[in-house]
Amino acid sequence: MIDLAIDSEVIMSREVNFEKKIKRRALILGLSKTFFTFLVFGKLFYLQILQKSKYGKLSDTNRIKLKIVYPERGIIFDLYDKPIASNRIDYQLSIFKDKKNLVYDYVKKLRGHINFSEMDLELIKNNFNEQDLSDFITIKRNLSWNELEFFEFMKNKFPFLIITKEKVRNYENDLIFSHVLGYVGFKKNVTKKKLSNLKVGIAGVEKKLDSKLLGKDGWIKFETDSKGAVKKELNKKYAVPGGNIKTNLISEIQNKASEEMRGIRGAVVMINCQNGGVNCLYSSPAFNNNEFSDGVSLKKWNKLLADEFNPLLNRCIAGLYSPGSTYKLVTALHAIENQKFNKNKKFLCSGHVSFGNRKFHCWKKEGHGYVNLHEAIEKSCDCYFYNLAKTVKIDDLAKFSNLFSYGQRTGIDIPNELKGIMPDRKWKIKNRNEKWQKGETLNTVIGQGFMLSTPLQITLMTARIATGKKIIPTIITNKKEFENLNIRNENLEFIKSSMFSVVNSSTGTAFNSKLPGNYKMAGKTGTSQVRRISLEEREDGVIKNEELNYKLRDHSIFTCFAPFDKPKYSLSVIAEHMGSGSKVAAPIAKRIMELALNKY
Amino acid sequence: MTEIIIKLKNLNWLFIFLVSFLSFVGLVMIYSATFGEESKIFISHIYKVTFGFILMILVSLIDVEFWKKNAYLFYFIGIVLLLWVTFYGDLGKGARRWINFYGLNFQPSEIMKIFLIISLAKFFDEKKFQESRDYFFLILPILIVTIPFLLVLIQPDLGTAMLILFVSIVIFFVSGINWKFFALSGLVSIVVTPYLWGELKDYQKQRILTLFNPENDPLGSGYHIIQSQIAIGSGGTFGKGWTKGTQSHLDFLPEKHTDFIFSMLGEEFGFLGTLSVIGLICLITYITYHITSSFVHNNFNRIVGYGIITNFFFASLINMSMVIGILPIVGLPLPLVSYGGSSMLTYFIGFGIILSLDRGSNYL
Repeated sequence: MIDLAIDSEVIMSREVNFEKKIKRRALILGLSKTFFTFLVFGKLFYLQILQKSKYGKLSDTNRIKLKIVYPERGIIFDLYDKPIASNRIDYQLSIFKDKKNLVYDYVKKLRGHINFSEMDLELIKNNFNEQDLSDFITIKRNLSWNELEFFEFMKNKFPFLIITKEKVRNYENDLIFSHVLGYVGFKKNVTKKKLSNLKVGIAGVEKKLDSKLLGKDGWIKFETDSKGAVKKELNKKYAVPGGNIKTNLISEIQNKASEEMRGIRGAVVMINCQNGGVNCLYSSPAFNNNEFSDGVSLKKWNKLLADEFNPLLNRCIAGLYSPGSTYKLVTALHAIENQKFNKNKKFLCSGHVSFGNRKFHCWKKEGHGYVNLHEAIEKSCDCYFYNLAKTVKIDDLAKFSNLFSYGQRTGIDIPNELKGIMPDRKWKIKNRNEKWQKGETLNTVIGQGFMLSTPLQITLMTARIATGKKIIPTIITNKKEFENLNIRNENLEFIKSSMFSVVNSSTGTAFNSKLPGNYKMAGKTGTSQVRRISLEEREDGVIKNEELNYKLRDHSIFTCFAPFDKPKYSLSVIAEHMGSGSKVAAPIAKRIMELALNKY
Repeated sequence: MTEIIIKLKNLNWLFIFLVSFLSFVGLVMIYSATFGEESKIFISHIYKVTFGFILMILVSLIDVEFWKKNAYLFYFIGIVLLLWVTFYGDLGKGARRWINFYGLNFQPSEIMKIFLIISLAKFFDEKKFQESRDYFFLILPILIVTIPFLLVLIQPDLGTAMLILFVSIVIFFVSGINWKFFALSGLVSIVVTPYLWGELKDYQKQRILTLFNPENDPLGSGYHIIQSQIAIGSGGTFGKGWTKGTQSHLDFLPEKHTDFIFSMLGEEFGFLGTLSVIGLICLITYITYHITSSFVHNNFNRIVGYGIITNFFFASLINMSMVIGILPIVGLPLPLVSYGGSSMLTYFIGFGIILSLDRGSNYL
């Protein structure tokens, strides 16, 4: 009994202990739950209160994608408000920057439906390394309608690609204005990383007036989901289009020039004598500036560079030619203006003039007989000028020639103009390390020898003679007032009347290019020698131009102005290796001038 | 009939309100999660909540004795279902977890947790504490735990399996088993872990590894954790507003209506939202503790109470810890809030049993 009581007591006390143990363990369980709760609470506090701004930003980076909107370039108009450089819509394929590692996989899958050229792959590679601010990377430009249609159909399979459109440069007539307008392309060394895909003017008017044409970039913020699908546009800043530009170029004249020069290398330059506006600046052969603006491949670029006819050269302002007989106008003017040379003085032209131990030949082997200065210009007699040259000091002639822009930049408002060579004694020593030979003056007065000039300089000479004013050629703006050349009017009139005879007198060298109708044109032919004719050849008879190797043939030059009584246009045509000025250049000039006078 | 009315009247209606409120939070979140998409999921969730609620009330009317009496039977049924699902279950995401029951998908591993708790409670109730010094008798309860644990593990459902193990350990603990036992099993598990690690699927290993450094592989396994943290963090104090969560609605957040629903809640309702839900869970847990601790000398009731609430509490907190980056993502829903029928019904049944315990308790 007692045992039992003790037993039950023991049991009782065990029961109590057990209950206590259970209570303790429940408490431990409760405490560990509390601890766990505070752990979770603490982490939530850290995430949502302390790190709110960090995670807020991360969530925005997740969903907000920025696309830079490149501005539309300003439109370039011709003198009669015809657009000559405008913009077209370009459909492009872009990929999310975050997913750029997918691109080659995508390209592989899209190939066969979308044409990825080597150029495009190059573009992808370049764009990848650039830290453009945009969250999209353009992987393909110039999508065709078929490609667009295909992508629209398949886009669910390519969640991180989007189609965007951009206005890109488009030249109305790609071959005709390429040299004067230039083209656009990517900048080489971009300082503003943000705009690494911005196209800027690389040459011509596009380069010169880039800041005006450029405009200001904008952006669009898209909200996208995790698959990269654009859900909505959040906000945007519109791009400001660039300013439009009006030029002095006349499309139709430029067109006509390109037509006339088809198959001929050379240049056509036309200047408005009243305001200096450049109405035509055509260099042949031309290149396709649309192709350049869309991005030309290295292969193509190298091919163009290696082209023997150098289509990339703007011959109007950077092609160097001997001005030939057209320069006789300046020599003659110099003689009567500065040397009190008697213009009625006659010299005998027997076909050549001896000077020192050399013979200087006239282009007309049998000679012109006795001619005065007027006739010498009209018939382009070389001997007359050789005789005249005997009294000419080269330094004086060079200085006077500067008035007509020879040896100087004309200041035309596009880049990369060359100044040519107007030789004098200083020049000779500096460049040839030799003293000036008097015989070289004889070559210089007829525009041969060392002398080199651009077609623009020749045209400008004519314009300045026609007006007596220091005309400055401009493509974009124009001036009304120009400085006087300070040359006596009677002398200018004399030269002009001689130029009139060149075209309108039956004995003139360009009589076959006389204008029909009321307008009268005055001009001067020229033949720019490419080779030196050797003594033996003289004796054997000069080889006819047509029989010469093409590259050795003379350049055909003609410069003119019209109407004679009230000069409006000054025009020069240079046709490379086409022989004498009267044969090719003058008829082309006549047809262009005819169009200009009749229509504008 | 009157008996039923009296029973209903005696139910702990505060508890019912709290549980209902938590399911209401779930409804609100599921609505947002499916906002703008088809409403099928939301409608289905409403049905499930309603059904679950009714089930909870029905279970609450059953006396606890019923469960005690049939504990092993239910356990047996559960094991059969688990075996069935292991061999004939429907495949989903690379795992066999589902039984298709006349068009209704049913996950036996969920209900197994309740059956396991009851069985363990019955075992420890019958084998009194006197025998607790003798470790030999523990072989049976360890077997009771190990069989469902392994069956669930090979489905594979790592989350549920770990929870089963964890809840069982807690039950062993609160049933008063000697400390030395835990020390011993701890030692055993250290030895066994490397072997188990080798048995894990690659994606499961990856998930555990990324926990330690989620930024390491941002587009792989770490992506979910990072996106979830961004969602919660960007919610700030007050959140982005209901249905306005950008992380959730732009699909940066994965599984937003199931495992990651808490992240969405954090994003749309902010710190106040997450705190309220934790508060609610703690309150439900506290009330259950209050009920359970009132039983003296009734091991069955105590173990059932602690077991069920531990299951609920840890499932909730582990889910939260996963989505905020404290624990690896193993795939556990947030009780009563996440979409998913079997899990929700199991919790409702569990709360029904707690209500029934409450009816029979004599605390004041």
